[in-house]
Amino acid sequence: MNVLIPHSWLLDYIKTDAKPADIANALSLHAFSCEKIIKSEDGDSLFEIEITPNRGDALSVLGIARELKAVLPRQGFKAEWIEQRALKVSEGTTDKLEVVITDPTLVPRFSAVVLDNIKIAQSPTLTHQRLLKVGTRALNNVIDVTNYMMFDKGQPMHAFDYDKIGGHKMIVRESKAGEEVITLDSVKRVLPAGVIVIEDGDGRLIDLCGIMGAKNSEVDENTKKVLLFVQEYDPQRIRKASMSLGHRTEAALRFEKGIDTAGILPALWEAVEMLQQTAAARVSSPLIDIVNVSKPEKMVAFDYARINYVAGIEIDKKTAEQSLMDLGFVIRDGKVLVPSWRYDDIDIAEDLAEEVIRLYGYYKLPNTLLSTPIPLTSASPSFYWEDRIKDMLKNLGFFEIYTTSMTTKKLAGSDPVEIANPLNEDLTSLKTSLLPQLKEVMDKNQGYSDKIKLFELASTYHKVSGTLPAQPLRLALVTKGLDYLNVKGIVEAIYAEMRITGFSQVEIKDYGKNVYGVELPFEEMVLLAKNTGTYTPVTHFNAIKEDMTFEVKGTEYYADIILKIKSVDSRNEKIEFKDLYKNALTLSFEFLDRNKQITSEDTKTIRENIVGMLAKEFGITLKK
Amino acid sequence: MDLSSLSLAKNEIKEELKTADSLAAIENLRVKFLGKNGVLKRLTAELASLSVEDKKQVGLVINEIKQEVETGLALATEQLSTQHKADSLEDFVKTLPGKKPEIGHLHVTTQAIREIVEVFKPLGFTRVRHPEIDWEYYAFEALNIPATHPARDEWETFFIDAPVDPKMSRQVITPHTSNGQIREMLKGDLPIRMLNISRCGRRQSDISHNPTFFQFEGLVVDKGINISHLKGVLNYFAKNFYGPDRQIRLRPYDFRFTEPSFEIDISCGICGGVGCKLCKGGWLELGGAGMVHPNVLIAGGVDPTQYSGFAFGWGVERVYMMKSGTRIDDIRHLLGNDLKFLEQF
Repeated sequence: MNVLIPHSWLLDYIKTDAKPADIANALSLHAFSCEKIIKSEDGDSLFEIEITPNRGDALSVLGIARELKAVLPRQGFKAEWIEQRALKVSEGTTDKLEVVITDPTLVPRFSAVVLDNIKIAQSPTLTHQRLLKVGTRALNNVIDVTNYMMFDKGQPMHAFDYDKIGGHKMIVRESKAGEEVITLDSVKRVLPAGVIVIEDGDGRLIDLCGIMGAKNSEVDENTKKVLLFVQEYDPQRIRKASMSLGHRTEAALRFEKGIDTAGILPALWEAVEMLQQTAAARVSSPLIDIVNVSKPEKMVAFDYARINYVAGIEIDKKTAEQSLMDLGFVIRDGKVLVPSWRYDDIDIAEDLAEEVIRLYGYYKLPNTLLSTPIPLTSASPSFYWEDRIKDMLKNLGFFEIYTTSMTTKKLAGSDPVEIANPLNEDLTSLKTSLLPQLKEVMDKNQGYSDKIKLFELASTYHKVSGTLPAQPLRLALVTKGLDYLNVKGIVEAIYAEMRITGFSQVEIKDYGKNVYGVELPFEEMVLLAKNTGTYTPVTHFNAIKEDMTFEVKGTEYYADIILKIKSVDSRNEKIEFKDLYKNALTLSFEFLDRNKQITSEDTKTIRENIVGMLAKEFGITLKK
Repeated sequence: MDLSSLSLAKNEIKEELKTADSLAAIENLRVKFLGKNGVLKRLTAELASLSVEDKKQVGLVINEIKQEVETGLALATEQLSTQHKADSLEDFVKTLPGKKPEIGHLHVTTQAIREIVEVFKPLGFTRVRHPEIDWEYYAFEALNIPATHPARDEWETFFIDAPVDPKMSRQVITPHTSNGQIREMLKGDLPIRMLNISRCGRRQSDISHNPTFFQFEGLVVDKGINISHLKGVLNYFAKNFYGPDRQIRLRPYDFRFTEPSFEIDISCGICGGVGCKLCKGGWLELGGAGMVHPNVLIAGGVDPTQYSGFAFGWGVERVYMMKSGTRIDDIRHLLGNDLKFLEQF
């Protein structure tokens, strides 16, 4: 997700000679992509920075400032850290809160304090302006502090009106399916089971935890006492709830990426101090701080050799160590202590290598081509044939078409594989045939020309019980303005190009209006294809060529006729279909004797034998 | 009139004939020399005043000149008419455009895939294809992306309406080609230089996204593979695919299946890297890459203490559209299947 970080706000933490453009560049090269610098009306620079999902710690001004402290010196700039005061406000005793947590994993840490004497008013100008710059509207001095601390420290907070919490009691639990809560934005939300919620002593839901507070306990202009609430929730439950409710708030986006547990109390005390200054608040309860899930110190081995292995060059050991220290890691006895804000992000030696090498600068690493032996793998012959047949069709005047794998239920064919979450109703099912969509492309383009030839080579999808669908590659052709035998001839030419003989008949669909379509089992064809021919010695004797025209009845099969003619004499070198006019079938013959020059006497005999056979077998006569 | 002045005239006429550069000019010369009041008529008329002996000699010369003029004019006419073919209909035909055989068009995506394959081939990469509808396990879990991880948001995944497998989880339309990483490693042959090009699907459709699109995924697994190899190979790709002047840079990024991870930028081809409206400060985003995460190697049955690798997975159409020549402004044209669009490629 992207965050907006004002330059002026960063200067609360860091003193530098780097200009905004230098900061953006250093961030992009060493840490996060700074997508743009937006100028605000008061001349401030707002950095729009893309934060990767693993770096929830950087979704705040503090987080970016910490990163700058490490990266700016790598670009030759000064980066001096401005020490933050450690705050501890004295606690009160008058107010209490009873807390029941049904499952400790819901809320790894629960921290809160009650403040009284609240005077609701407007926030100071600086708070106002800063909130506006990061895209949030100022509301009042209490709510603004909670928002301010979220953007400043990355700690989402919530303020309840303490007097609206029934029995001053909180039960943190998972929701039951169908429970309802009206959130601060006045929207009634019906909850699924498993959402973290808080129930008060009167049995009302008063918080949609980590996502948004409830209307029934909100701070308003009459509020006198506030319960300031800084928590750490189970990231996975927050994410699931926020997704299923379709309510992606700034707080939820931070909680689901994990927040810095160690940062909770400092942020809470700073918020209290702000409220003391702006809302006359007084601490009226003891600090409530329940740690349900403790996080022991996390040490990762400092594997210097591994860092250099990953980098491909040697990075000086001192430089490596300094990089880690600048990022807040502590090196102890050959191990590295992970800072609390990177607790969930750093686990293995490669993670540390990344930190060291990115600070060193990826741009400084050399470009090396692979020099190890080339693997002994051979490509599937499918790619060869795909290229060759695509080229062939292109050169025969075909347009290659790509359609979506998903289509409407109507075009997908019978019993298609269905999408559980389709994008729209036009993309609900996976195609079982390429033809319907290709025919649709033809219809759409019919005005283009009198003669149009289209093909698509792609997978179709077919249900297979208990496992993944079959996904065979198929080749489909759809033509307009070609007659049936032309289309059939193209299909035969494809088979001939792949040297496949004896294929079974393919069905050519007649869509009417001179539009034909055919789909070929390309994947099976590749298995049969051969890309080398077999040599038959060329003879120097000449062939005698002649045409003969027969009168057919129309009940015969052409292939049968040819087969029979071939069997009459081995000197029938070639027989080709030439023409059919009404019932007159003209065939071209080539007679050749491979042992001697064939004579017209020989061909006369062969011809007579053929005519005799055809009359006998089929009742076909030579046309006079 | 004497012979010497005649031979002088003869030479002048010869020279003049050479200057004829159009049919009109030839006609003018013909009139000038051979016409009713032409030079030769005038000379012939002068013959009358000569002696019989001179008449004979001069007459011969005049005849010679006449022949010379006639052949000269004929030659010039022929030369000029072969230069100007449009003089007859037969010649006009030759000026018409030729009748082209019908040559079709390969789709832009096919052309892009071929160019990409050609770049990687000399580096020893072998093209493969892995299932387009695959188990969630190969598309996510084995790639170190557990179901609950926010990183899953990056992929708007289509799920298949089919029973869930207890081990492999749901069936998905692969939202990327990285499932091929695991499947390639599980073949058990090392080292690996894979180029997996396949159709993918994501639940999005806008100016730069189609629900169906193609990705190419590179995977190298071998001993001693480091970031400089990743840089070397991707730099080679950028220079061969986009041009020798282009540079790449790596920015830190985060992908669950690589560690470290990078976003690869290429210097802008329009402004040459200075910064312009079309780029971000002189750079354009090409796509993600990284060193294969040890958990991914383990899921693929490869020992991460012995082998390391790098991987990248980029959009075919996107990478091709970034070639400045194509000028395709909306990726949806590619599946629009308007022949008037497709005929341009």
